[in-house]
Amino acid sequence: MSGRQERLDEHRIEVEPYYLPIGDEITIAEAAYHEGVPLLLKGPTGCGKTRFIQYLAWRLQRPLVTVSCHDDLSTSDLVGRYLIRSGEAVWSDGPLTMAVRAGAICYLDEIVEARKDTTVVIHPLADDRRQLPIEKKGELLTAPPEFMLAVSYNPGYQSVLKDLKASTRQRFIALSFDYPAPEKEIEIVCREGGLGGSTARSLVKLAVMTRALKDSGLTEGASTRLLIQTGKLIARGIPIQIACRAAISETLTDDRELLAALDEMVSSLF
Amino acid sequence: MNLDALKCKFYELVAPSLPNEWDVEEALSRLVTGKSEKIDDIFAQIPAIWPVSHSLCFAYLAAADSALNSLEVDELSLWVHTLLDRYETSGLHGAQLFMRDVDRHFINPMRGRGGLRLSEVRSRLQPYANGLAGREMLLIPADGAATNTECIYLPHKLSLFAGNEKNFLLYKLMVSFQWASIQAGTFAVPKGTPPLDATSAHPLEQVFSQYAFPANARSLYQFFESGRVVAFLQDELPGLMREAATLLPRLPLSADTTLVLNLLDRLQQGLLRGKWSAVGQLETDDRARLLLQRCQAKGVGNQVSLDAVHDLISLLAKEDDFTETLPFIFQGTLRLQEVLNIHMQRRQERKLRFTKALTVHLQHFSEKKALDANDDQDDEKKVAGQQGQGLALVVETDNQVRKNSAPQPLTSVRIDNQEIPFNEELAELAEQIRQDLGSLPDEYVSSAAGKAGQGYSAAISLVPDDGSGVIASVVYDEWDYRRKGFRKNWCVVTEKDISPVQTSFIEQTLQKYRGQIRRLRHQFELMQTTEHFVRRQRDGNDIDLDALVESLADICAGRPPSDRLFVRLAREQRDIAVYFLVDMSNSTTGWVGQAIKEALVLICEAMEVLNDRYGIYGFSGMRRLRCDLFPIKRLEERYSQAVRQRIGAIGPREYTRMAPAIRHMTSLFTQVEAKIRLLIVLSDGKPEDYDDYKGEYAVEDTRHALLEAKAKGIHPFCITIDRQAHDYMAHMYGEVNYIFINDVSRLPARMPEIYRTLTT
Repeated sequence: MSGRQERLDEHRIEVEPYYLPIGDEITIAEAAYHEGVPLLLKGPTGCGKTRFIQYLAWRLQRPLVTVSCHDDLSTSDLVGRYLIRSGEAVWSDGPLTMAVRAGAICYLDEIVEARKDTTVVIHPLADDRRQLPIEKKGELLTAPPEFMLAVSYNPGYQSVLKDLKASTRQRFIALSFDYPAPEKEIEIVCREGGLGGSTARSLVKLAVMTRALKDSGLTEGASTRLLIQTGKLIARGIPIQIACRAAISETLTDDRELLAALDEMVSSLF
Repeated sequence: MNLDALKCKFYELVAPSLPNEWDVEEALSRLVTGKSEKIDDIFAQIPAIWPVSHSLCFAYLAAADSALNSLEVDELSLWVHTLLDRYETSGLHGAQLFMRDVDRHFINPMRGRGGLRLSEVRSRLQPYANGLAGREMLLIPADGAATNTECIYLPHKLSLFAGNEKNFLLYKLMVSFQWASIQAGTFAVPKGTPPLDATSAHPLEQVFSQYAFPANARSLYQFFESGRVVAFLQDELPGLMREAATLLPRLPLSADTTLVLNLLDRLQQGLLRGKWSAVGQLETDDRARLLLQRCQAKGVGNQVSLDAVHDLISLLAKEDDFTETLPFIFQGTLRLQEVLNIHMQRRQERKLRFTKALTVHLQHFSEKKALDANDDQDDEKKVAGQQGQGLALVVETDNQVRKNSAPQPLTSVRIDNQEIPFNEELAELAEQIRQDLGSLPDEYVSSAAGKAGQGYSAAISLVPDDGSGVIASVVYDEWDYRRKGFRKNWCVVTEKDISPVQTSFIEQTLQKYRGQIRRLRHQFELMQTTEHFVRRQRDGNDIDLDALVESLADICAGRPPSDRLFVRLAREQRDIAVYFLVDMSNSTTGWVGQAIKEALVLICEAMEVLNDRYGIYGFSGMRRLRCDLFPIKRLEERYSQAVRQRIGAIGPREYTRMAPAIRHMTSLFTQVEAKIRLLIVLSDGKPEDYDDYKGEYAVEDTRHALLEAKAKGIHPFCITIDRQAHDYMAHMYGEVNYIFINDVSRLPARMPEIYRTLTT
């Protein structure tokens, strides 16, 4: 038990994460929590989905167990498996089981990356049953009221083959995230990147310009996260144009002509 | 080298052509006194030019010797390459002009002298313009800078400065200024103006025409606006304006070529170069400067500029005439009529979008209402709308209420006493319309209501009803192995519908090969995603008991135990996308065409069992401007009756210009995500077309197209029934990437087998 407790303690969020609300997402999420309904967070990369769930976990004073989903993720990776310890087969809870037992928040990040036969394991947890069957142990685990399931994905980035099944989607309450309005984004970049208002404002203008190139060769425009990373470089004394090149332009594209165009934007703004 | 030797050498190079001896002598006479190395270099280009045009080749020979006085020897090949491009775009006359002045037309542009063309910098400037505007903002070459709010016009070429860096900065300044003019509201309608009307001039034009000298008013407005917009740019793009600070004073002004400066000349000099008249010297200049400062204040609109014009124009003398004073080079002319036209176009588009969206919205609303309340047909008609006085009165009342109070966003509309709330799209459109016209016109709502009541479908078909319409045309380059370069924008590939045909061919084929199809389905089922357990892994879903027992035994025996104690489920998932490209040339008549069609039916029947995505296109055509591609089955399309009927409709057409078809399939593949992307070409012969697309030229172009496909991660493979295939296929596709079927009747049976081999 103490081992499990130690593992859980690692997932507690003691310090309030900085999060600037965009709309009424906190109210909706808290209502969903109290009603035992899972959350589906969708939005482009780097727009605050994970930060939101961290903030929610802190606010609700629950541990947050995060799983980054991928193509090779199996049901055992989520639920658990037998391991060999000192010559004995010992059951080890997976992150999902651990979160259910502890009444934590389990956050499956980029859920569409996992195979559909893996994601169906969450179905009994995500509807009114709130149960997790552990077939290998013959156990049916009922989630306590404190448990919450949350998943996220980026709708613009999926291939045709990667999508959530309707039977999965319709078990959730969905919150749509997007890049914040300019004034809010400036505030976030100032606070997290450690920048003054004027530089933050120009960075946000740059991001807006790159987002307009989404249909002109860029897969995605610069996210808020990229701006914060750029701000941190600038705050450390890296010249602005070099920081923008390294943290924004080169991250967004390898295309030489687009890189040149992004350089022109940077040199116009700074 | 004497003339006879030159002639002999020339005839060897152009064989089997036998040009007129007189023409040859005339062309070669200038080279007689040349050094032999120089002549060798000149003659080395003849094989690239002669097949393209004999006249061009003679003109080249006449000009080459003097061209080499300016060119380095290793630049000659590039010069010839450019010459051929010029010939293909501008004809023989254009090519002769090109050769006339080597420095001007070739060397200076190549070495960065002679100015900067828009075409050279568009790839950098276009994304920049799109980023600034937040949408596509096309850059169009024109005589000077301007904008109509939909696109930005820029000069074809800038050569104001010696270095291209400064010329590029000027282009960037032009783009930024034009964007800023739109953003800052240079074209905004003055306060109190009624909604724009297509039959009138732009309201700004109407304002200018109120003055005794409208041209002066326009010029002064442009000046004050340029000051306002430059101040806007200082705020928005400080980096650009800092760079441009050294450039602006060097820009040409009308004042530079005028002896007597008018007020506008002096103001332009002041704004751009800081050369103001001394305070108190000229009252109008002082007043204008003060007005300019007001225009440069932060956050002011174009009304300030209009007020400034009104203020200043009263101080002008009767003889003041600004028509000779041109606007700043980065500002250009105000294209007010075009701006008005664009505005009316957008208004019409908004109306169409609103009407269409409201029609669909009303239909959904009425269906939902019918389901909820279990209403009868009469109620549906009421909600969908009756065109008539009752409807118009209701809508009008709404608008009147809104006009009397402060403008509120439109979030619903009332139709026959029924409140219909807007969705997000409708609310946004309604607000845009209200801002343009002051209110939401009744006719927009009644039109939508009428269409909803009639069950109007807003679907618009882009394909003509006869089903044989053109779907799309795309231009591709063609590889010319002789010049080792592309002929730019040389071939036009057009996707054309193939009309489905009701025949018994499919049923007959399915019957003929029914045994084979059953076997194929079974074989292809085995090819599906397979799973198997992999034992003795370091990590896995379950314990490998055999490995565990051995490990425990090793511990007891004092040996180090293995850590590979788990079993893992391995999945081999197929992620394949394949395009079949079918030769539909006129040589595929009779048994050949029959065999190809049967093969397609069999492969489709087999592929339906797999998860592989597949598409089928036929190709044929005549000449480079008519390369036809026929979509028989698109990648994401189901294998439906329509697809079967299109297979039945395949028939021999024209020629086999293969490379454009391959390039088009390559471009289709760029939109496809798959681990393996396979292009399988079914051909009955060499690539060949009606014109000079034959022999080595055609083979080399096809080979290059295949290499381009491979470079993009596509695997090309050819199934051919051409008995001469071994002569050229290995060179085109590579030794292992084609297969020859010696008996065409075996093609249907072999094709699925080949596919299975390729993909397992």
